[in-house]
Amino acid sequence: MTTLLGWLAALSLAVGAVMGFGVAPREVTQGNVQRIMYLHVPTAWVAYLAFGVVLVASIAYLVQRRPGADRVAHASAEVGVIFTGLTIAAGSIWGKPTWGTWWTWDARLTSVAVLFVMYLGYLLLRGMIDDPERAARYCAVLGIVAALDVPLVHFSVYWWRTLHQPPSVLKPGAATMPPAILAALLVNLAAFTLLYVYFVAKRVRLLRAESEALA
Amino acid sequence: MAWKDLLVERRSKETLNALLFFALALLFVFQFALDADRERLAAVLPGLLWLAFILSGMLGLGRVFLVERENDCWEGLLLAPGDKSAIYLGKLAGSLALMFVVEAIVLALFALFFNVDLVPVLPGLTLVIALGTLGFAAIGTLFAAMTAQARARELLFPVLLLPVLVPVLLGTVKATEALLLREPLADVAHWLKLLVAADVIYVVAGLLTFDFILEG
Amino acid sequence: MADHWNFVAAAYGLAVLVLGGYWRHLRKKERELMTAGAQRSRQPSSSGHPRPGPAARHPLQ
Repeated sequence: MTTLLGWLAALSLAVGAVMGFGVAPREVTQGNVQRIMYLHVPTAWVAYLAFGVVLVASIAYLVQRRPGADRVAHASAEVGVIFTGLTIAAGSIWGKPTWGTWWTWDARLTSVAVLFVMYLGYLLLRGMIDDPERAARYCAVLGIVAALDVPLVHFSVYWWRTLHQPPSVLKPGAATMPPAILAALLVNLAAFTLLYVYFVAKRVRLLRAESEALA
Repeated sequence: MAWKDLLVERRSKETLNALLFFALALLFVFQFALDADRERLAAVLPGLLWLAFILSGMLGLGRVFLVERENDCWEGLLLAPGDKSAIYLGKLAGSLALMFVVEAIVLALFALFFNVDLVPVLPGLTLVIALGTLGFAAIGTLFAAMTAQARARELLFPVLLLPVLVPVLLGTVKATEALLLREPLADVAHWLKLLVAADVIYVVAGLLTFDFILEG
Repeated sequence: MADHWNFVAAAYGLAVLVLGGYWRHLRKKERELMTAGAQRSRQPSSSGHPRPGPAARHPLQ
């Protein structure tokens, strides 16, 4: 089952690449560097999806105490952190030629950076607690608190950057998007989502095997 | 619970004194770093003030469960009858009291050393500080309990705490900045609303989840 | 405006390295566990969570 998922993910990623580089046209304002969007936006989406899953799985764990829920939370946090890191890196690489700088305290980048550190902390907490049951419980609480915090972080950072300051950043995918670009974006969104599901499934299986080996 | 903690504090006083000396040291560092450049000082003063509050706060909060941990009374907390949320509120109240005292003194020292007239904005400032400290302590108490049993807790606690508190950090610094620039409080109403929302979410989250932390 | 294909390559290249590397890491750990599991008799634990024994240090981290 997981292998099938893996092949599906690989296939859809290939299609996504074709769409992103072949089908989608050269963007008018930015040129071809805009194609990074087909990587950056999907990884950002997956990151938020991953942490949403962490929230749901954490609640499920605290309510039902099923180790499977904890494993999903753990796996999703790990994969989420990877995708968040990639989002920041790709965003930074995109920003250098377009904004002239590697980093800027733009609302979106800052929010994602805070997200990154929050869930890195989640993984750290797991690593620093020896008792697996306690680790599961504490991380569930952290997963819930962090997820509840995400909208607060968003608003605060957005207001910090945009009020009393004219927005100066290019927003990818603003108002109207040519259909070919939109289509390429959607295909890549689906592809990266499949990749996420595949990674989480594999990781969960690994976690279950690890816990059984130690039992 | 809060009363017990306050009594413990009153008797030993070590945390309060240490925090005050720490804040004083920070004040000196800030002064040396900025070297009395009046304009630069005025611009960064809100940030410096909250930096002092946060650093002292983290030191204080990191010790919230120190007594239980050092004296092996953690089980005592676990076995305490009744709603564990009461313990949370008690610890929260104790932390708040401690932080308010430190903040009041630090604020006075800031006004003194950096020659800032705070009197006209004092009511607004008190509100902002109260809101910020509540949010800080609400999450801080929860995370202090979580990291009490973890390895490298002195490192883990700030790493977990600071990103989650970004909304409170931003809200308080921005509101303080506006106040120090003599802007009307109504201008920063959105920040105040954010702080209130954050406080509500944090306290409710703490109340609901503290039971799970104290299970074992 | 110039196309900056090298930046595009850098971004996608990084993604391939990171995601591919993670995939290889998962595969490696899976293989390790399968060989280790074949040499051990499996005992299902009651709660599903392994209880830390007196040594309390997990060999696999």
